[in-house]
Amino acid sequence: MARWRLVMALWLVAVPLLAHHSFGAEYDVNKPVTLTGVITKIEWTNPHSFFYVDVKDASGKVTNWKFEGYPPSVLSRTGWKKDVTMKNGDTVTVFGWHARDGSNLAHSREVTLADGKKLFFGPPAGTGDGGATPAVDVK
Amino acid sequence: MIRLIVGIACMAATLAAQTASKSKNGIPRGANGKPDMTGVWQSGSTQPGPWEEANGGTGVGGTGKNPNAPAAPSSNDRPAGREGAPYQPWAAAKVLEAFNRRGIDDPTALCLPPGLPRTAMLGLFPTQIIQTPAQVVILYEYMNVFRVIPMTAKHPDDILPSYMGDSIGRWDGDTLVVDVTGFNDKTWLSGTGTFHSDKLHITERYTRVSKDRIDYDVTMEDPTVLTKPWKLQSSLMLREGTRLQEYVCAENNLDPGQYEKLLKDGVKFTR
Repeated sequence: MARWRLVMALWLVAVPLLAHHSFGAEYDVNKPVTLTGVITKIEWTNPHSFFYVDVKDASGKVTNWKFEGYPPSVLSRTGWKKDVTMKNGDTVTVFGWHARDGSNLAHSREVTLADGKKLFFGPPAGTGDGGATPAVDVK
Repeated sequence: MIRLIVGIACMAATLAAQTASKSKNGIPRGANGKPDMTGVWQSGSTQPGPWEEANGGTGVGGTGKNPNAPAAPSSNDRPAGREGAPYQPWAAAKVLEAFNRRGIDDPTALCLPPGLPRTAMLGLFPTQIIQTPAQVVILYEYMNVFRVIPMTAKHPDDILPSYMGDSIGRWDGDTLVVDVTGFNDKTWLSGTGTFHSDKLHITERYTRVSKDRIDYDVTMEDPTVLTKPWKLQSSLMLREGTRLQEYVCAENNLDPGQYEKLLKDGVKFTR
């Protein structure tokens, strides 16, 4: 019961949100990724922000990954401070979803910062791609 | 004696001003006695409180603190329990096609203004209302669009078709009624693919039901694509302490290029 209440409380917090971006066209909800690496570049830009991470694999090979996320105004309302919260050279762990085209591009959701603090850099999977049901009834 | 009279007059004036500016339920009122909706608001929410608190702290844009939680409904989604939009069969097929293409044809992906009532119902970005007896101005952070709503009886007779339409306002008791016409046919109403014609006519009703909340009722009429008026309800919640910021969509919009590449490379993304 308590768990159900929690679920309901979270649901009530949820509001119609993203407007611009179709998650599902570019990213695959069935391909979650969690990567750890070093920040090489951060772009606070509209309509979406990006950051780049050097990720080293087991053999020592380094690949630069690009992550997409919220626009600057939303990042600031989500607890981010530009040039302060995350900087070039910081080691971070990013959870998100891989691009459909298989390139080193992902949609970022949660970033675990160097000090262990977690913040959302982008919206959840599925945001903005039309939802579960079309606006019209299908007969 | 004169001082006493002036003093009493001042006290009376102050009391009168207080009575005029605030009613018992905390709803401020303007000089004309009508509810004053001036403030920064979040559309599509029912949660009171400051922005960060009302949006679950770091959960803004999500569902609480769980990164794996499903997406909250966006302005492109049909909320649970909402009736199907009353499109004519040919038009419904077109809406469905856009849904199956996962919204890549969304006009806002080209950074175009989002139109109505979509702009008035999305919640990721704040909305500022500035109300005077003669006009109401609504500023939207999303796409940095605005509406100037004069409290006049008649639309001008030289309206050019536009994304946000031509708005005029009037009072029905304590409800602000806004009549909007003069749209182009380049925006979506509410949900992926919900197109319309330039015959679209929208009636919005804003009712400040408490200090924290405005109820928003909207009726869309478009005999070209709909079978009957389409009615939706939403609400705006007061977000004290939030300020509007700049949103210049064209700055770094990579979406059209990405969508074009997906189509060209034959990457399967449709439903």
